[in-house]
Amino acid sequence: MRLLNSRIIRFLVGIWLPILLIWWWWTWSADSVDPFFPPLSAIWEQFKFNWIWQYVPIHVFPSLRNLFAGYFIGIFAGVTLGALLGANPRVSRYFEPVIDFLRSIPPVATVPVFILFFGLDAQMRIAAVAVAACFPTLLSTMQGFRATDPTLLDTGKVFRLTPFQMMWKVRVPNASPIIWSGLQVSLQIAFVVTIASEILGSGFGIGAFTTISIDSFMILDAWTGVVLLGLLGFALNVIFDLVERWSLRWYIGQKKLAS
Amino acid sequence: MSGKPLRIPAGLVSAVVALLIWQIATTWGPLAGTSVPTATSTLAELWNMLFMSETWDSIWQTIQMALYGFLIAVAIAIPVGILIGLSRFAFISTKFTFDFFKVIPPIVIIPITILVFGPTLQMGVFLVVFAIVFALAVQTAYGVRDADPVLIETMRCYGMGRAKQVLFARLPAASPFIAIGIRISVSAAMIVAVVAGLVGGAPGLGHDLLLAQTNGQNTVTFAIVLILGILGLAVSRLVVFLQRRLIFWTAS
Repeated sequence: MRLLNSRIIRFLVGIWLPILLIWWWWTWSADSVDPFFPPLSAIWEQFKFNWIWQYVPIHVFPSLRNLFAGYFIGIFAGVTLGALLGANPRVSRYFEPVIDFLRSIPPVATVPVFILFFGLDAQMRIAAVAVAACFPTLLSTMQGFRATDPTLLDTGKVFRLTPFQMMWKVRVPNASPIIWSGLQVSLQIAFVVTIASEILGSGFGIGAFTTISIDSFMILDAWTGVVLLGLLGFALNVIFDLVERWSLRWYIGQKKLAS
Repeated sequence: MSGKPLRIPAGLVSAVVALLIWQIATTWGPLAGTSVPTATSTLAELWNMLFMSETWDSIWQTIQMALYGFLIAVAIAIPVGILIGLSRFAFISTKFTFDFFKVIPPIVIIPITILVFGPTLQMGVFLVVFAIVFALAVQTAYGVRDADPVLIETMRCYGMGRAKQVLFARLPAASPFIAIGIRISVSAAMIVAVVAGLVGGAPGLGHDLLLAQTNGQNTVTFAIVLILGILGLAVSRLVVFLQRRLIFWTAS
């Protein structure tokens, strides 16, 4: 198994299974007459027809806009509140039970509540995504700030750092690996809530497109929606990983040196 | 935990304040006269619902979907994870595929499951399995690979077979990983069981929530959301409690 140390071999070993699975799906479904499982080749043709680029402006753009608007509002609030609460344990003790309760509500279950507040427009979606995305970031930021090494804080005091410097040179870098893991969970939840808000509130978006296709028995269209959402969910995670690795490169380097 | 004796009062104070803010906002504040119900009417509705058998049926259906799905996922994921973890070739071969499915949220495949299963309990169970099986298998595999190589070599020198190595070295090493995976899986299972009802029409609290909202029963909508919060909190507390009891040899 020495062979597996080579990067190219590892890559080849990594992709045989996905290729096999797709090939298997392709041949198994090739002459399928089951209306629910159309041939993959037909799904692919329909996919090209729908998503390159005919429906992209009316369905993909609104989905992505709601997702990112909600996500960035949510994580901004999460980091801000989390930093305030994490740095002030006396205050946070009073907020924790309420936060604990609110985050125990399944994020998607809040969508009906937001429909009550805002109706079915884009505001509702963005608000639902923002609130759902806020909690994981809020919790991880609190945890990250609370876990600041006391020695580091004391050292900072000895060097007479201003509170501002203390925040940006000591507390934030120290908490950032944990905050990043919260940001990733937030992104995954934001993605789910975006889709849910589109399915529950009729209208535009990839989720709405897929549900409407099911309801009107356009099975091929529904499959293209599912495939697109799957690819999108995966792509979001890959992009996030790249951004995270880039911005935490100092930390990853440190850990490598330490081990 | 220096403030331990203060913990319960702090929680009570904040809960009461939160309810008061809700009540004031909906009677005199910015939310007065909107479709958002007051805290007192929501709590009254919640109290009423506690005496209706339908509520408990729904709670039980939701728990059933989560529980069956969770058990099936564990029964698949842990053996598969152990097997994958034992061979470097298998680990690298499956990594991409499992990582791909791991990050795909189950809500994405709900349209397909509606076609296959219809809005049934089975659909909910399937979605729960799909939601947790890949992550749990990967987590188990990581744990199995984390076993001390010196210990494994030593066992091999003493002529202990693969089965014994797995039982006495690999599984104990993997158990903290599996424990974390299971803790996350239980919460995920409950959430997905609710989503299956809300978005896919499977029976249970999620479906009740959807019906209440589309019928304009606003107090019921809020009351169900409260039930979901209480249920989620109870489940996560229960898992933490059980894990402290069962896996006592790992700190935290």
